[in-house]
Amino acid sequence: MQVLTRGVTDLGVSQAVSEGGAPVGSTLTTNLTTNLATGLATGLTTDLETDCVADGIGVAVPQPVCRTGGSASLGEPQQRLLGQGAAVVSLDLPQAPVTCLDFWCRAGSAAETLAESGLAHFLEHMVFKGSERLGAGQFDLRVEALGGSSNAATGFDDVHYHVLVPPSAAAEAIDLLLDLVLAPRLDPEDFDLERQVVLEELAQSEDQPEEVAFQQLLSRACPGHAYGQPILGRRQALEGHRSEAMAAFHQRLYRADNCCLAVAGPLGDGALLEHLERSALAGLARSDQPKPTDRANSSPGALSDPARLHLQPGSDTVALPRLEAARLLMAWQVPPAGDQEAVIGCDLLTTLLAEGRRSRLVARLREQLRLVESIDLDLNGLEAGSLVLLEAVCETEHLPAVEAEIRRVLLELIETPPPLAELERAQRLVGNGYRFGLEAAGSVAGLLGNNHLWGRHQPIQAPLDALTRWDPQRLWRELTPLLDPERAFCLRALPA
Amino acid sequence: MSPVTTNPSATPVAHPAASDGSLDRSLSGSTEPAASQGSLSGQRSRSVVPGGCPLWVVHRPGPEIVSAKLWIRGGSSSDPIGQRGSHQLLAGLLSRGCGDHSGEALADQVEGLGAGLRCEASEDGLLISLKCAAADADQLLPLLLTLVQKPWLLDDQIDLERQLNLQALQRHREDPFQLAHDRLRQQLYGAGPYGHDPLGVEADLAAIRRDSLSEQAAQLGRQGAVLVLAGQPPANLEALLTRESGPGGWATQAPLANPAWASSSQPGDGSNRLACTEEDTEQLVLMLGAATVPLGHRHGLALRLLHCHLGVGMSSRLFVTMREEHGLAYDVGVHHPARLGAAPFVFHLSSSAERAFEATTELLNEWQRLLQQPLSSDDLALARAKFRGQEAMGRQTGSQVADRLALVLGHGLPADFTDRCLGELDGLEPADLLAAARELLASPNLSLCGPAQALGEAESAWRKHSLSS
Repeated sequence: MQVLTRGVTDLGVSQAVSEGGAPVGSTLTTNLTTNLATGLATGLTTDLETDCVADGIGVAVPQPVCRTGGSASLGEPQQRLLGQGAAVVSLDLPQAPVTCLDFWCRAGSAAETLAESGLAHFLEHMVFKGSERLGAGQFDLRVEALGGSSNAATGFDDVHYHVLVPPSAAAEAIDLLLDLVLAPRLDPEDFDLERQVVLEELAQSEDQPEEVAFQQLLSRACPGHAYGQPILGRRQALEGHRSEAMAAFHQRLYRADNCCLAVAGPLGDGALLEHLERSALAGLARSDQPKPTDRANSSPGALSDPARLHLQPGSDTVALPRLEAARLLMAWQVPPAGDQEAVIGCDLLTTLLAEGRRSRLVARLREQLRLVESIDLDLNGLEAGSLVLLEAVCETEHLPAVEAEIRRVLLELIETPPPLAELERAQRLVGNGYRFGLEAAGSVAGLLGNNHLWGRHQPIQAPLDALTRWDPQRLWRELTPLLDPERAFCLRALPA
Repeated sequence: MSPVTTNPSATPVAHPAASDGSLDRSLSGSTEPAASQGSLSGQRSRSVVPGGCPLWVVHRPGPEIVSAKLWIRGGSSSDPIGQRGSHQLLAGLLSRGCGDHSGEALADQVEGLGAGLRCEASEDGLLISLKCAAADADQLLPLLLTLVQKPWLLDDQIDLERQLNLQALQRHREDPFQLAHDRLRQQLYGAGPYGHDPLGVEADLAAIRRDSLSEQAAQLGRQGAVLVLAGQPPANLEALLTRESGPGGWATQAPLANPAWASSSQPGDGSNRLACTEEDTEQLVLMLGAATVPLGHRHGLALRLLHCHLGVGMSSRLFVTMREEHGLAYDVGVHHPARLGAAPFVFHLSSSAERAFEATTELLNEWQRLLQQPLSSDDLALARAKFRGQEAMGRQTGSQVADRLALVLGHGLPADFTDRCLGELDGLEPADLLAAARELLASPNLSLCGPAQALGEAESAWRKHSLSS
C-alpha cells in the first residue's frame, strides 16, 4: 500500500520493492502499485529477489526458516533518542556489504487534510529537489558517485526515504539525507516542474486498469477515510497546490516525535551512532501540539476514534475501459498494525488461504475448478486498521462462480477450525518469509524503521515467537470470523 | 571505490561440515581443482555432478539459508516453429509432477517446509530457483534434478498450465508498456528467436501437443546447464543431488560460450522502423531501441556503461533531462538485459498525450547525442561508479549471488567474468563508448502506444528527426 516514487529504471515500470519485500507486520505488498511489472529487468539481473512468486510454489517473499531460530545470528536492535526526541534504531550487520539508512516519518497521506490531497507524496518528490545547501540533483549525484542508491515511498500512514551506501560513506550519507529531508528548499519553480512529474505518475497509474479497479474498491470500502483516497492525490487538488501549503505540511509533520531513523549495516566502533548525536536530527523540534496517539499508550487500537477505519461492507460492479480480464476484488478490515499479535495471526490466515498451490483458495479456484488465472490475498498492515485485499483474475463469464466459490471456501473455514498441518504449513511459510527478509540490510532497516516509528519496540525474534502462539482453535475463534464475506466490500470489475 | 567491492563475506567460512575437502571427495566426477576466491561473491568452489552438470557452491556466513539456481541453456529463443511459448509451458510443468512425486505432493513438500520453488523460461534458458532453510536443504535439493529428468507432463496439467499462460497473455494487453514492448520486439527481431515473449503467442500456445513437450523435455541440458548453490548448503551434495535421479546423474555439460552467434539485426528503413499501437490511454508510451550484442561481446561492457550513464539511478542522463529538467515523465529508463544473442538496448518513457511531440523529440535527441558526442570524463567516472555499485548492491542476498553467477556461467562465460569486467572498466575511454554506440545504435526503432492524436504528433516528430532517415 505504498507509492514508490523515485527511480523506476526497469522497463515495465516495475515498482517492485527492491529489497525483497516487507516482512511480517510491516507494510506489505501493494496491489495498488506493484502490478505493473512486465517481468523485465535490467542488466545482469534476471531475478533480483523474486525466487518465489504467486505462480510458483511456496512463499512470496523468500527467506530462510531455521527451526532453531533463524534470527539467532543477528543481534538486537538498539534504540536511542536524540536531542528533542527523534528516535534512532540500529542493527549491526557486520557482514553486510552496504549500509542502509532509512528515514521514516508519520507523514503519509492519512496526515493530509482534504485540501492537502496528494501533498504527502508530492513533498516526497520535492525533497529530492534539494535544500539550501544541496542543489537539485546533488544528493543523487553524491550518493550514486559513491556507488550507492536511494529511493522513497509514501504510504497511507507514513513516508520513508532510504539510502544504500558503502559502509564507509554512511556518515556522509546521513548528513546529506537529513539535510534534504529536514530542510527541503521547496522552490516554487521546482514545485511547478515537479507537479508535472507527479501528474505524469498519476496518468501512468490511470492507464493501468487494475490500479484503477483497486482505487475504486478502496474508495467504496473506506468512504470518508484517508485509506479510501488515492495516495497520489486528486488531480484537481494537485493542479491547485502551492509550495507554501507544502512548506506548512512539512513544518507541521516532520518533527522529532514523528520521525525515526533506522540504520542497518556494519556499525563498527559505534562512531556512526555518535555522529548522529551531532546531526540535524538531534536538533529537530517536537510537534507544537501533542498528538492524539502518544507512544506512551500506543497499545493496540490506541489511535483516536476519528482516525479509526470503519470499513463499509457492500458490493458493486463497475465496467472499466481497457480491462482485458475480469477482476473480483474484496476488502476486509482486520486489526491495526499496532496489534502485532493479531496481524501475525492474519498473516497466517491469508497464507493458509492463498499462499502457494496448496493453499485453499488457489487449490480450489485455480488448480481444481480452474476458474481463475490467479487469486491473491494480501495483508496490508495499517495503523488505523489493516486491510486484507483479495484479487481474483478470471473470464467475465466465470465471475459469478468465482464469487460463489470464494464465499464457500471462506464459510468452510469459518465453520470448522483448520487442521493442525495446514496451520503448520502457514507458520513455516510466514516464518521463512520473515527470516529470508532479514538477509538484506535494506529490508532490515525498513522493518526496524516502520516498527519503531509506531512505537513497536521489539526483539527481532518477536514475530517468530508470536507465530508459535497461534494454534488452530485460537486462529479459528479469534480471526476467521473477520473474513466473513458479509464483512467485506466486494467489487466486480468487468471489461467495458 | 574499494569500499564497494570489498566484501567481508569473502573471508573463509568456518563450516567444517561443508568444507571443500568433503565436497571433492564425495563428488566422483570432480576433477577440477576447486576453490577460486570471488572478490564480490564470497568463497566459491566448483565440482561436477555425475552426468556432467557443473556445480558451483558459494558459502556465505550469516543466515542459515540455501538458494539454488539451476540454469539450463535453451529458452524461448529455442521454441520450435509454430510452438512459440513451449519452453515457458514446459518450465511451468516441471513442478507439476516428476519422479515419484505428483504435483500436489511436490507442492505439499515444498510449501510444507516454507520453501519456495519456481521454474520459468527466459529467452535463453530455463531457470529453476529453490530457496529454503539450510536445515531443510537435504529434503529439497534431491528434487532439483528430478524436476528436469523425470517430469510427468500429464495432459491434464498441460491443459491447466496452457490455460494460465493464455490468460496471462490476455491480461498483459492491459499494460500499454507491454503493448509497446511487444511491437518493438517484432521490429527488432521479426520472426527470429527473440521475436516473441517467452509466454508465447496465443495461436501457437493453443496448438502445442504433449509429444513435442516430451521431446523438448528429453533435450533439457543438451545445450548445457549449471547449478549454483549459495548460502549454507549441506556437505553431502552429490549424494543428495543424485538421490532420486540415480547414480548416472543427468547428462549435460557446462554451457559453451556464444554458440555460433552472429549479428542478425537488419535495420529497416525509416518507415518500418516506426510502429504505432493505438490505445485510448492518458499517456503515450515510447520505446526506442536497437538489437545489439551478447553479454561478453567486445562491445558488451561499453554498452553496459552507457546503460549506467543513461538509465541507472536518479543522476542518470535520461532521468535528469527528461524528468528533472523537462518534467516530461515519471518513468523513464533504459532496458538492456544480458542475452546470449543480440540483446536489446531500449530507451523507454511514458508522457502525457498532449506532450507527445516534445517527448518524442527530446527522446530522439538523447539517442542522437549518443552517436555524436563522447561522454565527458566526469560522466564516465560516474558511470563506472554506478557499475561497481550495482555489482556490490546486487550481491546482498544468497539468491542474488547465485542468480548472477548462474547467469554468467549459463552464458558460457568464466566465473570471474564480473571481476574481469570490473578490472577492464578503467581501461574504457569515452571514444570506446562512442565507437560502440556508432556501430550498434545507429538505426534505432521506435514503438509507440497511445491515443491517435498523440501517435500522429509523435510520428511527425519522428519524421522530422534525422534518426528516422
